This record gives sequence, structure tokens and C-alpha cells, in this order.
Amino acid sequence: MIWKRYQNELIVLFSIVLLLSGLLYKNKQNADSVENRTVTKSAVREFKQIIAHKKQWADKSIAKKLDKLKSVVPASKLTWHKKAKTLNAQFKGLNSQELNKVVTTILNLAIQIQGLEVKENHSSYDVEFKCKW
Amino acid sequence: MNFLAKNKILLLVYRNMPRQDLSEIVNIMLPPQFYTLKKEDLPLKYAYQAKKIAASRFDGLLEHNAAYDYMVYKEDDAWVFIAYNIEEIAAFLQSKGINVEQVGKLFFAQQALHSFETPVLLGEKDALITIEDVVVNVPQGALKEEEIIQKIDESFTPKTGLTLNSSFHSYLSQKQAIALATLFSVFALVFFVEGWRYGDKSAGIKAEINLLLEEYPSLQSQYTRKSIAEKYETINRTERRKRDVIKTLAGMIFKGVKVDAFKMDEKTFMIRYRCSDAKVSKHLKEVAKKLGFTSVKTITGNIVLIEEKL
Repeated sequence: MIWKRYQNELIVLFSIVLLLSGLLYKNKQNADSVENRTVTKSAVREFKQIIAHKKQWADKSIAKKLDKLKSVVPASKLTWHKKAKTLNAQFKGLNSQELNKVVTTILNLAIQIQGLEVKENHSSYDVEFKCKW
Repeated sequence: MNFLAKNKILLLVYRNMPRQDLSEIVNIMLPPQFYTLKKEDLPLKYAYQAKKIAASRFDGLLEHNAAYDYMVYKEDDAWVFIAYNIEEIAAFLQSKGINVEQVGKLFFAQQALHSFETPVLLGEKDALITIEDVVVNVPQGALKEEEIIQKIDESFTPKTGLTLNSSFHSYLSQKQAIALATLFSVFALVFFVEGWRYGDKSAGIKAEINLLLEEYPSLQSQYTRKSIAEKYETINRTERRKRDVIKTLAGMIFKGVKVDAFKMDEKTFMIRYRCSDAKVSKHLKEVAKKLGFTSVKTITGNIVLIEEKL
């Protein structure tokens, strides 16, 4: 029956225990949350980066976009071999303007350049270009 | 253990009672020896109003040097005021072997007014009986011979009573304890809610990941994800490098400089510039070195060759 004698103190003690439990719970949740958020945020960042890279370098419409190259120069100057996911193109007798256009178009396409060769031939240029995607 | 006041033994105490040896918690019924009663017909609506004026109702009736507490309640149309000295009651109970912690609740005989309509013996000489709606102490000799005498039992227990424990031996009063406990509990609640909200925030980010996983199920495996990431990282890095190199080399064409030949594969590149004179080729070489090309050669006077790994 000693508890009855000190029941007021016990009530306060119980509420202090409750308060401390609340404080510990909050601190633990906070620490867990900070850790979780850091881990999860980095995972989200990684995810987004992978998705962005995939969108850029595995673009399904790139084969169509690559056809732009055909319109940059007259068909007579171009030999075009597109097979599966590779392209082998040869441009002959390009003036410097056409050369610039071809190179700029190539640089702006998200393709993997396997080979690019430019040779000057009597003030005109011959270009050989190989790529995959 | 009995939690309900009515289930506990009700002990009627009196001044010259024998010493008690209790093994459990009891409720105590106090006869008029332990309190002063006043009954008044007042135009009051609430008990708190009556309690406020309770002390004034006993002016001149109580001992000056003692501290009194008051119980107030409504009995039919009249307000009943009971003044009692809790310290005196506690000291009396202690003297009779009843410890404060053995007392469940204290009741006043007046509260069980109707139960005392038939007399109850109070020790060897006295009895308690209700006369004109007041429980009074009368000598047993004053009772009629044929009068039925009843014994006090739990059925006499009134609905409300006083709690004695908190006033004694305790370092904190009940009010202080309740105030502190409430304050701490409120803080505890705030902490729990805050903690719950932290947990909830993490759930939001996890939901974002789940959404991405649903959209791209191929990325669910960590190994696949790592391998895809590495593959595209390499492509992204090398392809950007190729483009940067081509742009830088193209930027080096100025007046008097022409590209003679250029070749790039997946690992290396080579460019040959034809310059108009040796002065231009020297300047071109300087520019190339400034731009970070390390392998810059001059072939004959006017041809500059750069050949490097990507």
C-alpha cells in the first residue's frame, strides 16, 4: 500500500516517463528520418540520372532523327548504309559550309561516334562517318 | 483489490472506539463528532458558488486556530455545508491504528441521511439517527425500547466522498501532481506527434521511389540498376569528351589556318592543320597548348599536327 501513500509522486513520475519516452521516440524518428531521407534522396537522384541518361542515349526515335543528315547535303554527295543500330555514311566533295552543317548535326545527335574522318581534297572535303545508338 | 468505493468495507468511527487492526483498505463514515453542519435555503444554482461562501456560513461556529475544509452539496431544496478539520480526522484515525493509506474514502453521516432513519449504534452508549433531516448523535437510552437497531454496512456508502491520501505524507499536493502530470503529458504528446511526422516525411520520399520503380520496373534490381548506370555513365562521359574535343579543335581554326585532315575513333583523335606561314603555325601551337593539348607537333614549317588519346 506504499504506492497509495506516494500516488501523487507516482503520477508525476509516470508522466515524466511518458515525456522521456516521447522525447526518445521523437529523437529516434528524427535520426531515422534524416538517415532515410539522405539514403532515399541519393537513390532518387541516382534513379533520375539513370532515367535521364537512358532517355538521352537510348532514344528510340534517334534512327529517325539521324535521317536529318541526309537533308543537309545533296543526295549525290552521300552514300548511306543504315543497318540495325549502326550507320556508315560517306560524304564526298563537301564545301566548307556543308562540312560545318554535317559536323554540327552529328554533334547534336545523341549517338555514339565510332569513327569520323575528314579529308581535304582539292578545296573540298570528304567525310566518312560511323556511329551506333 | 477493490476499485469501486461501494465494494469496500464501510467503517463507522467514533471517538472512544477501540484500536483497529486493518488488513485492507476501508471507507470511513464520520459521525457528527467530526464535523459541523449547516443547512440553508439559499438562492444558489451551482455548487462552486456555494463552496465560495461556505466559510462565511460558519462564522463564530468554528475554532479559530484550526484549518477547516468544506463540503457542499444540495439536499432537496436546501444547501448543506459541512465543515471539517482534515488534520484532526487524520490524526484521530492514526491514533486508532488506521493509517492514511488504508483509507479509501471519507464520508459524512449526513450524506447517508436516509440510511440513518433507523438508528445505528455508535459504541456502547450512543447511537446515530436522523431527526428532522439531520443525522444526530443521541444516547442509546433515548431510543425507544421497541426500536429496531440496524448495523452499518456498504449500502450506507454515499456516492461521493473525500480522498485523504494526498494531503499527508506526500511531497506534492494532488493539484500540483495533476498540473505537472498534465504539463508533462502535453509535452509527451507533442513529442510523439512530432516523431510521427518525421516518420511520415520519410514515407513521402519512399513513395516517390516506389512511383519511379512502378514506371521503370527494369530498375527494380539494384545490380541491374548499377550495371545500367555504369553503362550510360561511360557512354555519356566518352561521347561528351568527343564532342568537346571536336568543338575545341574547330574553335582553333582562324585566319590562315585550314584543316588538312581529321580522324577520330573511339579511343584516339588526330588533326592536321595547314597554316599560311610559320608565324601562324607558331601561334596555333601556342593556342593548342593553352587549350590543354599536350601532343602538338610541327611537321615542316606550316603543318601542325595534334594526335592524342581521348
